[in-house]
Amino acid sequence: MWFLGFVLLLLKTAIVLTILLGLAAYLILVERKLLGRFQIRFGPNRAGPFGIWQPIADGIKMILKEDTIPQGADRVVFKYAPAVVATVAILIAAVIPFSRDAILWGYDIPMVISDLNVGLLYVLALSSLSVYGVALGGWASNSKYSLLGGIRGAAQMVSYELPLGLSLVPVVMLAGSFSLVDIVNAQACYPFVVVQPIAFVIFLIAAVAESKRLPFDLPEAENELNAGYHTEFSGMRFALYFIGEYVHMMVLGALVAVFFLGGWRGPWLPPVVWLVLKALMVPFFLIWTRATLPRLRYDQLMHFGWKLLIPIALLNILATGAVMLWLRG
Amino acid sequence: MPRLTIDDIEIEVPHGTKVIDAAERLGIMIPRFCYHRGLGSVGACRMCAVKFLQGPFKGLQMSCMIDAQDGMVISTTDAEALDFRRHVIEWLMLNHPHDCPVCDEGGHCLLQDMTVSGGHGMRRFSGEKRTYRDQYLGELVQHEMNRCIHCYRCVRFYREFAGYRDLGALQIAQKVYFGRLADGPLESPFAGNLVDLCPTGVYTDKPARFRARRWDLERGPSLCIHCSLGCNTVAGARYREVLRQEARLNEEVNGYFICDLGRYGFAYAGHPERPRSPRIGSQAVGWQEAVAVACDRLARLGPRSIACLSSARASVETLGTLKYLSKRVGSDHFVCFYDAAVKFKMGEIVSKLDGRTAVSLRDIEKADLLIGVGADPINAAPMLALAMRQAQRAGAKVVMMDPRPLFLPCDFEHLSVSPELFDVCLSALVKSTFDRERVGKHGEAAVTLYDRMLSCDPLDASVQARLEPLIAVVEGCRRPIIICGSDIAPASSVSFAADVALLMGEVKDQSGVFYVLPGANAYGAALFDAANGSSFESVVQEIEDGAIKALIVAESDPFRYVADRDRLQRALNKLELLLVLDYLPSETVRKAHIFLPTRAIFETRSSFINQEGRLQVAEKIHSPGTPIWQVSNKGHPPRLYGTGICGGEPRAAWRVLQQIAHTLVHSQNEISENDPWPVIGGECAVLARHHQHNGPLHGLRIIPQTSTAAFFDGDLDLQPKQPMDGHLTLLPVVSTFATEELASYSEIIQRVIGSPCAYLHSDDAERCGLLDCDRIRIAVDDGFLEIDLTVSDKMARGFLILPRHSRFEWQKLHCFAQGLPVEKIGNCTP
Amino acid sequence: MAGNEVNILRAFYEGVAGLASAYRITLKHLFRKPITEQYPEYKRPLPARSRARIILTRDADGDERCVACFLCSAVCPVSCISMESGEREDGRRYAQWFRINFARCIYCGFCEEACPTLAIQLTPDFEFCQRDILKLVYEKEDLLVDHGGKNAEYDFYKHAGVAVKGDKGTHYQEAAPVNIKTNLP
Repeated sequence: MWFLGFVLLLLKTAIVLTILLGLAAYLILVERKLLGRFQIRFGPNRAGPFGIWQPIADGIKMILKEDTIPQGADRVVFKYAPAVVATVAILIAAVIPFSRDAILWGYDIPMVISDLNVGLLYVLALSSLSVYGVALGGWASNSKYSLLGGIRGAAQMVSYELPLGLSLVPVVMLAGSFSLVDIVNAQACYPFVVVQPIAFVIFLIAAVAESKRLPFDLPEAENELNAGYHTEFSGMRFALYFIGEYVHMMVLGALVAVFFLGGWRGPWLPPVVWLVLKALMVPFFLIWTRATLPRLRYDQLMHFGWKLLIPIALLNILATGAVMLWLRG
Repeated sequence: MPRLTIDDIEIEVPHGTKVIDAAERLGIMIPRFCYHRGLGSVGACRMCAVKFLQGPFKGLQMSCMIDAQDGMVISTTDAEALDFRRHVIEWLMLNHPHDCPVCDEGGHCLLQDMTVSGGHGMRRFSGEKRTYRDQYLGELVQHEMNRCIHCYRCVRFYREFAGYRDLGALQIAQKVYFGRLADGPLESPFAGNLVDLCPTGVYTDKPARFRARRWDLERGPSLCIHCSLGCNTVAGARYREVLRQEARLNEEVNGYFICDLGRYGFAYAGHPERPRSPRIGSQAVGWQEAVAVACDRLARLGPRSIACLSSARASVETLGTLKYLSKRVGSDHFVCFYDAAVKFKMGEIVSKLDGRTAVSLRDIEKADLLIGVGADPINAAPMLALAMRQAQRAGAKVVMMDPRPLFLPCDFEHLSVSPELFDVCLSALVKSTFDRERVGKHGEAAVTLYDRMLSCDPLDASVQARLEPLIAVVEGCRRPIIICGSDIAPASSVSFAADVALLMGEVKDQSGVFYVLPGANAYGAALFDAANGSSFESVVQEIEDGAIKALIVAESDPFRYVADRDRLQRALNKLELLLVLDYLPSETVRKAHIFLPTRAIFETRSSFINQEGRLQVAEKIHSPGTPIWQVSNKGHPPRLYGTGICGGEPRAAWRVLQQIAHTLVHSQNEISENDPWPVIGGECAVLARHHQHNGPLHGLRIIPQTSTAAFFDGDLDLQPKQPMDGHLTLLPVVSTFATEELASYSEIIQRVIGSPCAYLHSDDAERCGLLDCDRIRIAVDDGFLEIDLTVSDKMARGFLILPRHSRFEWQKLHCFAQGLPVEKIGNCTP
Repeated sequence: MAGNEVNILRAFYEGVAGLASAYRITLKHLFRKPITEQYPEYKRPLPARSRARIILTRDADGDERCVACFLCSAVCPVSCISMESGEREDGRRYAQWFRINFARCIYCGFCEEACPTLAIQLTPDFEFCQRDILKLVYEKEDLLVDHGGKNAEYDFYKHAGVAVKGDKGTHYQEAAPVNIKTNLP
């Protein structure tokens, strides 16, 4: 029995990993295409029809590129920092339920790799960990640009961890559980976004900041810091940072779907499709934002996080609690 | 010292300074075409007009014509002056052709600069432009008369300054033409200065025609090493080849000009056959291997079996390091002069020349009496002739004692006496100016010398008659200078001349002796060479005896100098190692067992000491390498990327010699690898003081202030060598372009050297039945030598004067040291 | 106090509205037709004076115009032009070799501006990239064309005043040569 469970687990992991990495790779293409269209261009359209081979071409290029390590770099840290970012982003996907439980040969198979009862805390914990990839990568490069990028990244991610977590407190209060499966199940009647629009917005904003995307891409601000913390990385090490970022985008999309949009729930279409569709809305929004907004200043970023998002998130928790008490009588 | 104000800046200048020069001292360059400090002012071009606001002159005046005076207030930027100059340039441009793109002056053209700075752009006059036909002026100067703006600089230099007559102004009014009566090469060996002088492109450098623009040249201060004067030049190189040399102002040495030998002699450095890679036998090898093999073979030889040869064309650096090497390997032989007599004379000169008697070319110009003793300035040191002319123009008397039919671009008194009589003649000329008391100040030896001068044998009556009026001149002069050659003048004269100059210093305002030495660095060579007793003769002797087994030859070619080439050849064949370092494709280089290519003067920083003991430095102009046109054969240069320079292997000789010395004696640490001067200082005490010599622009005199050399105590009454009956004394002499070693590898100079020409006195010619312009044939051991003959009566009798001409194998005449029997001379006039 | 709150609300509203309008504009662009010209498929006709590949033109007689005066190489800000000039048998100054390194050229057109003989000209042809960088080094034979380019009539030697392409005094606006052997005015 345990053997079957183990095989199932491996199978689920394989499927999720494939879909996740595939989506992430094509998300790069989608981003470039979308940005192109936002700017009335075509975007990549040379590799294959509509440029669909572009991610593969990019991948080959990345693999074949020379792996350089700067002089004076901390070689060990330099080598492993990119892996931290990618690994952490991928690991979050383990707790995301992607369908209702399947019944196969009489067995009840949960459509999630692991239904942790502290799933939400696990998510928060892991997404905090990815700061190490950024900070250590920036520090290990022995380059002023990387170091500045790493410092900015660490400060920004630590700061936005708070509103991110706080915005989820009402969700937990509503669902009464830390398990992501339970949270999805709690949204059987209505998605939480209906009752928690403020938490939704805060989570979305904090998620953008967590994924270091515009307008919060200070750690890799091109026109000040070349490429910030990953300036010195090349080849597959750079690609790992890149993959980490895009997987992170996908995972955030999935989390938004799970926490606020009812997860895989939806009429007519299969649950997995619903989840993917909902999950893609966030990357699309992020790309749209990238095409629209300029980068914040560093003080604006901190100001916005600490003086605006955190108080609002706290107020939102209080209000939610008050309303729940009042409703319960 | 007048004080005046120019453009609101006050300045004090010496008396007689022109306003234009006073402004230049302030850094204000007043435009000029005709004015040149070397030539003086004529006020012909009207370009230097400035506004005189206060003082003795008022209004618009030519700044080159007015001496600076107290209280002058001058504006160079006054609107009226600017407008005047703008109009002048516009007038000058009326007839100037539109050919700057094909004109070689473009890029360093004064007219271009003035046109642009004057603001003239479009020609408003629509009439026809005046044109001239150009002339062929020889292989050195290109003529393009349309460009002329009639500043008269060329004829002023050529006729007044240099004293030649074949270029002048023709025609009148606005058709004035500067040229010769008919096409033909310019006769003056100073004609190249027209290129520098012409403010526009009428005279341009023909060998460098169309080769490069000034802005593309790598330029730097260099030296002329074709004679002992050490004239300063600016060399300009492009594409790894020196293309052009110009005169560099050195007030003490050459002034504003140089001779054509110095200007065009540089081409040896880019000789197509110049060996550029190290060789062992005929096999080209790498540096490391060549040096290692050389060191290995030298190390196997005993300490006394190595001899070192160099020459007067080698730099101080080369000589000093070679001397160091020779000491390190325990060699007894270090030879720089192939002729023992020359070596002896150089020793005398180095010991006698001191701060009291040494004079520069500038001093020559200021002298009021010049006495030549066996010196032939035009042939041996052309710029000396130019300086002598300036002295003569200023009123100096020039007396030359020489058996040769001398030519000078000035009037002079020629005493055609044989070299043995120089001392007596000189003594007769000057002795009446001395008195025992003043001579006595210099000690007993001076008095003895004076007594000997008084007791000289009486001279031949005809010579005495010529001397009489000159003695009065000598008595009346205030600044006499003795110009003494080192070629045909006997050793006694070289020594005696210095003593006379020293004694005359007692009775005159200033007196001096000016030696003409055999080579650019002859003085330096003598500093290193003089002290040892070895001679080239003894080296050859010891090679023949088998005592010397290895010969290190640094920048020297014995084949060029020695009379008996066969003997030298046999001697070299006996050697176990002939190690040659050079930059010329010489006979010795071809015979070398191991050859190491060295850098020419343009490719490394090097120092030379000129005839007055002035240490001067030539900077590195360009990196060594085969000139691109030789690589590309006039086509496109090869399309290759590489790290090395093709033919860039030559290294400075001193580096190689130092490396060999260190390898042989294993002492790497004591001497700097990048500075030859510690080594040089160690070898020569005089130069040790100038260890960190970075060279003031005018060079640095290294002679002692007071020499300790004894007065001449030899015999003044040399008896003229009476050749055996029916014999003529052979006198091999220098010839301007044809004798000097480096110039003989210069393709440009080869284009202009004339055919060799022998001189014979008319009496002797009559005796031999020869006529002027005959072609004579001299029977030598293995064949005949043919040469054209010029008969002259302005030379000493009993001499056959033959040029040491590169197209005349004068070395073969060595068998006639005792005189040439007349019957050996045949007439082969076609 | 009340006014202050209104102000804050208005500021909030304006901020959100501003953001929304920005998002709206970008979204609108998403549905516009891209204006990019697809280069290899569509080649834009370039103006005659646009600056790309450099040529050496010939004068009306069909002789090369370049006199190798070094002005183009002097003015070139990236030093991509090199040449050596020489003298032809007829006395004409010409370029023995002339080389432009297009790998270095920035197509600024200074050379064309500096050229006194109108020899060097820039053409609109820009499609000549190479994989081998040495193939971008163009020699005189590659640069020389057989037409006069933009100003086909101009002939430098007709104006220059040197005895090339005709004797002294036979060119544009020239008087007959001065006879230096006569005394007549």
